[in-house]
Amino acid sequence: MLAYIVRRVWQMVPTLFGVMLLLFVLFNWVGGDPSYILAGKNLSAEALAGIRQQLGLDLPLPQQFLIFVKQVLTLDFGTSWSTQQPVSALLHSRIGPSLLLTGSILLLGTVLAIGIAALVAYLHGSLTDRLVTLIATCAMSVSALVYIIAGQYWLAFKCGWFPIMGWSDSTLDNLLHYLPLPLLLGVIVGLAPDIRFYRSCFVEELGHDYVRTARAKGLSEPVIMLKHVLRNAMIPVVTSLMMSLPYLMMGAMLLETFFGIPGMGKEVVMAVERSDFPVIKAITIYIALATMLFNLLTDIVYKLIDPRVQLH
Amino acid sequence: MKPHALLAVLAALLLLPAQAADMNKVLRVALNAPETGFDPAKVSDLYSSTVTENIFDPLVTYDYLARPAKLIPNTVNALPAISADGKVYTFRLKPGIHFAADPAFKGKRRELTAADYAYSIKRHLDPAIHSPWSFLVDGRFVGGNELVKAAGKGALNYDAPLEGIRVLDKYTLQLTLTETNFNFLPILAMPAFGAVAREVIEANRDNTNAHPVGTGPYLLKEWKPGSRIVLEANPGFRKLVFNATPGNDPVDKAVVQALQGKTLPQVGRIEISVIEEEQPLWLSFLNRQLDISGIPQVALQSALVIDPKNPLKVRLTDQYARQGIQLQRQLLPEITFHFFNMQDPVVGGDSKDRIALRRAIAMSFPVSEAIAGIRRGQAVPMNYIVPAGVAGHNPAFRGAPKYDPAAANALLDRFGYRIGSDGYRTRPDGKPLSIELACGTSSTDKQWNEYWQKTFDTLKIRLSFRQGKWNELSKANHQGKLQMWGMAWGADYPDGENFMQLLYGRNAGDSNAADFKNADYDRLFEASLKLPHGPARNQLYDAMNKIAVAQQPWIFGDIRMRSTLAHRHVKGLKLHPLLGTSWRYLDLQK
Repeated sequence: MLAYIVRRVWQMVPTLFGVMLLLFVLFNWVGGDPSYILAGKNLSAEALAGIRQQLGLDLPLPQQFLIFVKQVLTLDFGTSWSTQQPVSALLHSRIGPSLLLTGSILLLGTVLAIGIAALVAYLHGSLTDRLVTLIATCAMSVSALVYIIAGQYWLAFKCGWFPIMGWSDSTLDNLLHYLPLPLLLGVIVGLAPDIRFYRSCFVEELGHDYVRTARAKGLSEPVIMLKHVLRNAMIPVVTSLMMSLPYLMMGAMLLETFFGIPGMGKEVVMAVERSDFPVIKAITIYIALATMLFNLLTDIVYKLIDPRVQLH
Repeated sequence: MKPHALLAVLAALLLLPAQAADMNKVLRVALNAPETGFDPAKVSDLYSSTVTENIFDPLVTYDYLARPAKLIPNTVNALPAISADGKVYTFRLKPGIHFAADPAFKGKRRELTAADYAYSIKRHLDPAIHSPWSFLVDGRFVGGNELVKAAGKGALNYDAPLEGIRVLDKYTLQLTLTETNFNFLPILAMPAFGAVAREVIEANRDNTNAHPVGTGPYLLKEWKPGSRIVLEANPGFRKLVFNATPGNDPVDKAVVQALQGKTLPQVGRIEISVIEEEQPLWLSFLNRQLDISGIPQVALQSALVIDPKNPLKVRLTDQYARQGIQLQRQLLPEITFHFFNMQDPVVGGDSKDRIALRRAIAMSFPVSEAIAGIRRGQAVPMNYIVPAGVAGHNPAFRGAPKYDPAAANALLDRFGYRIGSDGYRTRPDGKPLSIELACGTSSTDKQWNEYWQKTFDTLKIRLSFRQGKWNELSKANHQGKLQMWGMAWGADYPDGENFMQLLYGRNAGDSNAADFKNADYDRLFEASLKLPHGPARNQLYDAMNKIAVAQQPWIFGDIRMRSTLAHRHVKGLKLHPLLGTSWRYLDLQK
């Protein structure tokens, strides 16, 4: 196991280098020139050249890339080009609200989706199963934006059950007042596709011989579902969950924008709009690192769930 | 003189500050785009400026009630003495004004002096700062160019003597300009020219955007970039008592009734949220989570009863009027226009056929229809380079050509733009005629594109769109790669020069985005710089507008109307064309 982990960690180095190279090429190709934003109304050639020099954009590209490599090695991405704030401080202040929002959505959404999926899979072929599948299919065809706009309008404004938007420095205040509505809407948006996916995993497992054998042995249905089916169905479920974990850091851009949550999603959008490369670099690298680490973790969890899995 | 123009905000300066603001009064407002920071020499966006104008004090400011905008002393005893040749401005500061407390002052009260203004103005010249406002001061001060040149690409030597910016004594500042300019004062009223303290800047050199320390009515309490800003009343703010004589304007009367004799500011805390989406902004206002708000485009129909014959004549719908919501409106001191790249081989140049092409396009663009469709009637067509409310505006001038597609087609026929077998026009030399229009990517941009497509279809000219982010398109334009693009220019200061310079040849490649170069225009512009605002300068402006109309480097667009709503408990609100906010004049009476 240890040898496997060391080998996988070592393999991350060229992958990360590839991500850095791709990001660097893309930014220089289509990222936009930030000097035109920072110059404001003063678009003289001298002003633009001065800003480019200050940002280091006048340096040869290999030299700029080396600086990027150094930033990744030290995890110090300098300061934001647009606000001058240290990137680390910016991301530090943004990651908490994002994780609170997306983490809650993932947790609640997964529990609900697995429960509902297991139920309808158990009732496979029944009216309930067909009804849930139909509703899920319809729900998936509606844009997330519609849920957010309608939810904010009806539940917050018309019914007055939630504040329209806002965020506090107090986690308790956020959990009690500001999080519930975006959490509810986030769960609703993700529930339909999750139910469909998990249901198909359960249905597939229910068709296997070991389920028939278990029933023939006289095991109760709850024991079959919870002890045998659930465990075997967890492999694709865990894959799906683990793959989504790194993106928790990215936040939920629409929810954050509509509900005034100072998370990463808003920061990403702002950074892209302003061609704020230090922020874009930091977020991309952190996401890449998290993706690689969670992939590794997924493989290890496979082994824990199913001892038959061999790690090579 | 109108009675309300007699307004005077009398500042009674005491040696000790008099905190009047009630910290329990919390004003909640929103910015609809993220700010970038609060160093006045580094930020130029509207959203950051709305905050900096409440933290920093420029030498002069605007009378809150007087219209058109009127300059009044702010931290000076009186408006400056200007020499007869319009080159020397001498300011005498009020003693006893102090900066807000900061660790850089090492526990001592720090008085505002003339040296602070000298330092603050010099920062805009500093090559190491790259001030977005440097174009307002470059070459303006005697000796300034030499000082900048000596700095090279490094920092400016602030201690070197500069003839153009002199501190005569602790409270006296003298600015000496290289050229006669009677209209320089409005520039110094901009928030960008508010006083900063050198020791604060030097102590926070790496992050001056996050450490604004000024002498204004508010100080920065909290900043979460792009999300939330909190200001609190500056406990060291000088005593400023509101004292005005209202005219007949009911808004003025209400302001005076609410504020007369009160010490400013009244509101102790201002919570500013950044809300970019229209729905949460509007619902937050209706739900009383915000005290003041604009009206999003989508809510115009539900908020306003618009007279179909005169869309500028509006009133609040009964639903909102019954709640006591206040509506205030004003035309923005700005212009919008589409320019042609005057160096482009297809649409540029001053040959008659090119002018005819540009004229025909201008004649075929349905400005009024677009205003009705996109702006919901809340704008007026632009007819003069200088907008209303800005010194030099001529309301009688009609610069926009009459909408007449038939005449436009006839004009193109006459100048050899023939319709080919494919149904589209060719250039006079027989080559295909196709024009590319640069545009943004927003839904509003797409709406404008529909009108442009209609315009070009009417003229039987092929049109393509080049979509991009603003900085990408701006770069392409600087490289001469665009043919047409739309822009807006808001008044940095209320003087016509700020607008007429947009077509000045020496600004080509800079603020002159059209790259328009016309010797007559340039000569008239240079002559206008030497004149104070008045009939003689207006005559030159008229002549320059005629050149712009004749050469058609721009298609005049529109001037937007701003509508602002405030709840009943907000007192003292009056929109100002130049002041970004009214916060220091507001009171909350719930």
